[in-house]
Amino acid sequence: MLRVDGLTVRYGPVQALSDVSFDARDGVITTVLGANGAGKTTLLRTLSGLVRSTAGRVSFDGVPITGRDPETISRMGIAHIPEGRGVISELTVDENLRLGTLHRLRRAERRGAMEEIYERFPQLGERRNRSASTLSGGERQILVIGRALVSRPRLLLLDEPSLGLAPLVTAQIMATIEELTSGAGLSAILVEQNARGALSVAHWAVVLNLGRVVIADEPSRLGADAELRRHYLGF
Amino acid sequence: MTSVPTRPAPVSPNPGGSDHPERGLRGLRGLKPLGRMGDRVRLPAQPFLRHLVFFVLGAAFFYVLTTNVSTYNDFQIGEIALYAIVLGGLSLLTGLNGQFSLGHGAFMIIGAYTLALLQLHAHVGIVGELVSATLIAAAAGVIVGIPAARLSAPYLAGVTLMLALALPQLSSQYGSVFGGEQGLTTTPPAGPGSINSQEWLAWIQIFCALLVLLLLANLARSRFGRAFRAVRDDEIAAAISGIHVARTKVLAFAVSAGCAGLGGALLAFSTGVVNNGEFPLSLSIALLAAMVIGGAGSFVGVWWGAVALVYMSTWSGSLSHQFSLGTSAAAYLSDAIFGVVLIVAILAAPTGIQGGIRWIGRRAWRGLVGTPLQTAATTALVALAPASSTETGEPLGHRVIPLDGPPADDGGSRCRSAPAGGDDRVSGDDSVSGDDRISGDDRVSGDDRASGDDRAGGTHGETSTVRPDPEHEHDPEHEHEHEHEHEHEERSTP
Amino acid sequence: MGLFVNILLSGIVQGMVFAAIALGLVLISRATGVVNFAQGAMGMFTTFIAFTLLTHGLGYWPAFVATLAIGFVFGALVERTLIRPLQGKPALNPVIVTIGLLIVLEGAAGSIWGNVARGFPAAFSQRGLVIGTTRVAFSHFDVFIVIAVAALVVGIVALFRWTDLGLRMRAAAFAPEVSRLLGIRVGRLFTLGWALAAAAGALAGLLVAPLSSFSPYYMDLNLVFGFTAAVLGGLVSPIGALIGGLVTGLAISFVGGYIGPDLEPLAALVLLLIVLMLRPQGLLGAAEARRV
Repeated sequence: MLRVDGLTVRYGPVQALSDVSFDARDGVITTVLGANGAGKTTLLRTLSGLVRSTAGRVSFDGVPITGRDPETISRMGIAHIPEGRGVISELTVDENLRLGTLHRLRRAERRGAMEEIYERFPQLGERRNRSASTLSGGERQILVIGRALVSRPRLLLLDEPSLGLAPLVTAQIMATIEELTSGAGLSAILVEQNARGALSVAHWAVVLNLGRVVIADEPSRLGADAELRRHYLGF
Repeated sequence: MTSVPTRPAPVSPNPGGSDHPERGLRGLRGLKPLGRMGDRVRLPAQPFLRHLVFFVLGAAFFYVLTTNVSTYNDFQIGEIALYAIVLGGLSLLTGLNGQFSLGHGAFMIIGAYTLALLQLHAHVGIVGELVSATLIAAAAGVIVGIPAARLSAPYLAGVTLMLALALPQLSSQYGSVFGGEQGLTTTPPAGPGSINSQEWLAWIQIFCALLVLLLLANLARSRFGRAFRAVRDDEIAAAISGIHVARTKVLAFAVSAGCAGLGGALLAFSTGVVNNGEFPLSLSIALLAAMVIGGAGSFVGVWWGAVALVYMSTWSGSLSHQFSLGTSAAAYLSDAIFGVVLIVAILAAPTGIQGGIRWIGRRAWRGLVGTPLQTAATTALVALAPASSTETGEPLGHRVIPLDGPPADDGGSRCRSAPAGGDDRVSGDDSVSGDDRISGDDRVSGDDRASGDDRAGGTHGETSTVRPDPEHEHDPEHEHEHEHEHEHEERSTP
Repeated sequence: MGLFVNILLSGIVQGMVFAAIALGLVLISRATGVVNFAQGAMGMFTTFIAFTLLTHGLGYWPAFVATLAIGFVFGALVERTLIRPLQGKPALNPVIVTIGLLIVLEGAAGSIWGNVARGFPAAFSQRGLVIGTTRVAFSHFDVFIVIAVAALVVGIVALFRWTDLGLRMRAAAFAPEVSRLLGIRVGRLFTLGWALAAAAGALAGLLVAPLSSFSPYYMDLNLVFGFTAAVLGGLVSPIGALIGGLVTGLAISFVGGYIGPDLEPLAALVLLLIVLMLRPQGLLGAAEARRV
């Protein structure tokens, strides 16, 4: 589905990503783990086109997307949910959601798709005409995920969806992601610092350290490796 | 070079806080100040003595110049000198303190009318007239500076622009006092004996310019100058280290306005008449343009700017003659040229002429590195510059506020944005090459259009600089070098 | 009484003109976070183009439409060539560039057309209407000004509020990066914002020019009044621009009528400073204070 090959990103002399390669397979949650500064966010931002890579290739369903702008990549069906600040608080909940429908859906489908999201997340439906600034942290995260889902994406890029949320909300979000990917043709790349939670939902895990891939393996085997856990995963 | 400087406490400690672009006047760092003012050449160790050398050399230069050119050229040289005063003040305001003004013509008017009114109603002598003009303009600068200290770039621009438009109108509103459209006449000072009055006036203007620039250069080196810079670099950090930010900014505005007042008064001598037609909005803008052209924050650059101001109209006159445009078109053409230069300067050459010269000089110096000539030159310069110069806390490197930040690191990424130029300092090199960091290197990064959050003014793409060797840690000047090492993650959405 | 009414009416007309300029400033400020000090000069320049079109025999309304279209394209060009390269640079840089553009346009207009105060034709009669038995300072053309600017404001508000394009423009202005991640071509919308603003500026130029004479500098004062209006309105909302324009227009008109026209700019400056110091978010602004 998404193939990353030798991806390198440099900010001046700082090497943010060095020769990162991995595959995110169809219908599967791939989690990217690592400490602060390991390059996880840079990786997602490069995949969605916000950051230009210095070297390497990314292809999505066999189509090269290296160097494409984020608008194009988004329209291809890769929905990037940025860390913490995806809600446009100057708009209403409904307007935020409507933004998700503008590019990948036909005009006639849009309302229906939004209603589906409101049904799935009733807390959004109740507040649809409120300003998004009135939402709580968890509701905001749900709104952002809903806005990504309403565009019927093929691949979700989630940047620390659990950051700063209560454990209960985190669990709901994780469950939603798990449920969605188990269904029709949606994959996800999940960046997390909360390695334990991420490993519990993911099917494949990539560990980054200082911009390099340390190991990529099945979550159960990573979780079992005490050394690895202690060094890179922090639990 | 090993001794730790024993200067007063650093005014701009390495801020641990955040670099928030919307805070106060952060956005005003767009013009690249050329490092500190007047500290490029290692002449005598004492800054004051060093500036005095400039003063004496300048006086000698102008004496020779004025006595060897025509009266009309004397007139022009005098104008250059008075504009150098105005630009010096403006340069201090922008380059040192990070504020700016589109309305310095208004303070020139105040100085000019003060002079004319004093000549009309009181007889205080030329010194009294000039000092009064300076002080009254400075007082006006305080009045404008108090609100200005709280405004960010676009609002400050709007307010000062309105000032430049509004103030001249007062003279027609209160025609009985200010002489209405015709304005007031002034009498230029008569020289002693048989000295040509035009030459005498030019000397007075030159003397004032050299004196003011001497004072400004010393002010820039003083504790006030360091406070100005600290406020420019990081208001929060400056406030934390005990600087009264608002007061400092108002002071800078007042000094700057005082310079403009003095310049205006001297201009009134030259023109012989004061009316608001002499101070159109375009003058205020041309002043800003000339300051940018010369290089914000450079007291040598102000002379380039002043030359541009005075000769641009002459030059565009001949240009419009060549293209057989009407004579009235000449004035507009010079305005238009200033506008074009201003735009080009901002888009392409933010360090101005003086920055360009330094850049060329540095390139030339680099080209020589390793050659016998360079070794000889280093030896010679080291011999010229007493070793003690470093013990006074003389800065070894210059920081340049980058106009072009590196790709904005939009908070999401944890990777610090890159040092864009500046870590290539070799201390021996610096002591001779002056500003080593006006760099093309700053520009390599270009703009990263990929990151959508970096709208104009909203960027966090600041430069982080590699720390210099620890022995300079306590050098207050060096402290400025660290100020870009900020976290960019502060921007939380509400 | 008659004086009061006439001052009031001319204040409303001036206020509508300031609102048109303020609206342009608001559109640009929203789109690219820049205050366009060349907004007035751009309107001046397009008015000179309209003047040239008229002297070459084009009818008023074709010239009117053509001028708005030229303004639209001009705004887009300015954004692409001068403003876009400064994206991500300190806020002072675009300010200085727009100031530079201001004097380039004024210098160019002065060189091309000369600094002569000219008359510009009005679309409708400029004789004051007769109400009852008295003639008031409110003409058919003034009615046209009020309607044209009101229509402009309503159109912009409707665009923002009820269309997908408007939703995209708002999203792009508030959160450009998030918008790009949603597939919105933010750069084009910024260009569109500038283009619309410049068209509004062209309209303002055409409306102001017949009121007195026009010359390369006739928009300078209107710009600062429009700036005052925009800041009064909070620099973000079209409705705010309209209300700010009316408040500024009335204030200017009363100061000019009762004290002296030369004090108008100073009055606007004082008004601006009061607002900036006491209510930086503008008269209508939300509780959350905006940084000035």
